[in-house]
Amino acid sequence: MATTSLPVPRRLFPARLVKNRLLTGIIRHTLLVCLLVVILYPLLWMVAASFRPNNEIFNGLGLFSGSFTLENYANGWAAGQQGFSRYFLNSTLVTVLSIVGNLISCSLTAYAFARLEFPFKRTLFAILLGTMLLPYHVTLVPQYVLFNELGWINTYLPLIVPRFLGTEAFFIFLMVQFIRTLPRELDESARLDGAGHFGIFARIIMPLALPAIGTTAMFTFIASWNDFLGPLLYLNRADLHTVPIALNTFLDSTGENAFGELFAMSTLSLAPIVGFFIVSQRLLIEGIATTGMK
Amino acid sequence: MTWTRSALGVLALGTSALLLTGCGASGDGGGGGNGGGANDGTGEITGSIEIAWWGGDARNEKTNAVIDMFVEANEGVEANGQSADFQAYFDRLNVQAASQSLPCAVQLQGRQLNDYTSRDLLLPLDPMIESGAIDVSDIPEAVVDAGRGEDGNLYFLPYGAAYDAVGINTTLAEQAGVELPEEGYTWDDFVTFLEDAAAGLPEGTRAIDSNGGRPNFFIGWTQANGKTLFSEDGKLGFSQDDLVEYWTMWEDLREAGVTETAERTAEEPSGPDQGYFANGQLMSDTIPGNALTPVTAVLEGKGEGHEVTTIAYPSGPEGSGNALYPSGFAIPASCDNVPTAAAFVDFFTNDMEAGLVFASDNGAATNTAVLEAQLADPELSETKKHELELFQEIVANDPPTIVFPPGYQATFEAAFRQAYEQIAFGNQSVEEAAAAFIEQANAGLGG
Repeated sequence: MATTSLPVPRRLFPARLVKNRLLTGIIRHTLLVCLLVVILYPLLWMVAASFRPNNEIFNGLGLFSGSFTLENYANGWAAGQQGFSRYFLNSTLVTVLSIVGNLISCSLTAYAFARLEFPFKRTLFAILLGTMLLPYHVTLVPQYVLFNELGWINTYLPLIVPRFLGTEAFFIFLMVQFIRTLPRELDESARLDGAGHFGIFARIIMPLALPAIGTTAMFTFIASWNDFLGPLLYLNRADLHTVPIALNTFLDSTGENAFGELFAMSTLSLAPIVGFFIVSQRLLIEGIATTGMK
Repeated sequence: MTWTRSALGVLALGTSALLLTGCGASGDGGGGGNGGGANDGTGEITGSIEIAWWGGDARNEKTNAVIDMFVEANEGVEANGQSADFQAYFDRLNVQAASQSLPCAVQLQGRQLNDYTSRDLLLPLDPMIESGAIDVSDIPEAVVDAGRGEDGNLYFLPYGAAYDAVGINTTLAEQAGVELPEEGYTWDDFVTFLEDAAAGLPEGTRAIDSNGGRPNFFIGWTQANGKTLFSEDGKLGFSQDDLVEYWTMWEDLREAGVTETAERTAEEPSGPDQGYFANGQLMSDTIPGNALTPVTAVLEGKGEGHEVTTIAYPSGPEGSGNALYPSGFAIPASCDNVPTAAAFVDFFTNDMEAGLVFASDNGAATNTAVLEAQLADPELSETKKHELELFQEIVANDPPTIVFPPGYQATFEAAFRQAYEQIAFGNQSVEEAAAAFIEQANAGLGG
């Protein structure tokens, strides 16, 4: 076959628009900052609005107004039947136990699916992944009936126990994917040194799977810190309420809303998430980059 | 090979999902079992009950205070309250209803009532009134009737009656040079009032919101003109011509620039204290009667000196167009402590001290003695006083009672707005949209 040589098309644009690296840097950062402002503006607006008197909150889209007040924070913190120190404590308790539960159950299950051989492994894994397709609302009523029969209403058990039973298929999947990328030679050499499955799990796999663990912890943290429907259904007593439920009491579509307090407490409730993210940022990005969650 | 296996897994999963939903549905319908025998609510008032209502912090505080008074007045009674905002409250209530674990006193409105009565979830209260466990002698009959279900039985005892009113920004009306419509004004008067005002309003303000898509005014219009909103079998009771006439009226106003534009209305925040009216951009709008106080507060915050008031809905040949939307407590069929629940429902509605503590937080007190006492309170704010007095005026004019069929809240309200938006954005003619809406609403209503 005769080779036809195609004429190489001339570049429409030079490979490098601007040679000056400083200039590219400035342009790039200006664009990024502009984008960031657009994305963050609603959040900034909320923070700014939390410092305004209640009836001036919806006075416009500007960030600054003449009157500045810390009243919303003082009133908001003391609001509700228990006060927000109680609600933050409750939320922390549920969130920490959820993270512990998810980490233990999901990592053990993931190790089994990634490293052990047992009958019906593939079918079971398919069922596990299938549960991810089930909308929460499908299991909502049966779950409520179950927990009601067990007498678990008005306890934290319905929110925490399922996490210890590995019900979060997504995190199991995430960890399975991660553990599969770890070389099996490491397991084998540990085995030669006399380690059993728990030894391999605890000494080899877990230290190496730190990014996946960090990702799981972070996502569990966000999910259970922000969870609204679960606490709404299962926690009816004011002394058990978590932060999102307490925030909801500032709203009353059939009466008066306390938007100032709502925004003030929402700002505070975001702080732990932002803090946790900053601390675990490196781990999180590594986790996302290496587990195929792209 | 792998593929078939995982497909099997997915199949197994699908079946179990079906089973699960099956369970939920059967739980939903099986509530009638223990509601068969008439329960007259007499018996020993003791033991514990759960009480559920919607509302924010302020209302929770007042309701809890009333519950404490009830517990104090009845030795050996324990009562626990649970509350959430309106939407979240019903999310939880539906799950509790499906699992047969409703609290013993649940707060409802006529708009959702028949979603529950059609599934036999609630006890009729009439036997309890006959036995004297619940007293209704101080409540106007038109108000009590708003608690009746499709079968004519009383299912919840209205304790507070909300109503829709026409909010008017008197400052803007003055600038436009128009007089407020007088009591007993008709829809024609109202339209003329709006058109006159539109001519003289300052830049950036409109006479009224584009209201064709809100059920509130439509309900008022049907009642004033003697149309039926819902038929006996729970379907729509008005004709397509009625709807076309109504929507044409709004379209004429919108095209003449009297109302807010379709675009601005579509993106208006919900909630009377965030809307355009509360921000002084509209001269009038339909607002819940008890929104006068928060709207006044927001306008005060703007610092432009705008003042607002509320007046009754327009009337018509068939009388008042102001339907009442009372809230009240119902007792579920699954309740295991009916005497205590009945005592609480009675206490909350009729006790004078309780009424003064609750202070008509969720619509005006239906008990006339309690209402009088609240009005006599010198500490009552001006706006709150106006809210209660307007309620008295509406009740005096024999307000219509509407029985909302099951599916109303889930179907009617959203479909009505969408259908009108189709017209306002020029996608459909009034006739097309009316026909489409009637078909869609009838499919979801009733049964």
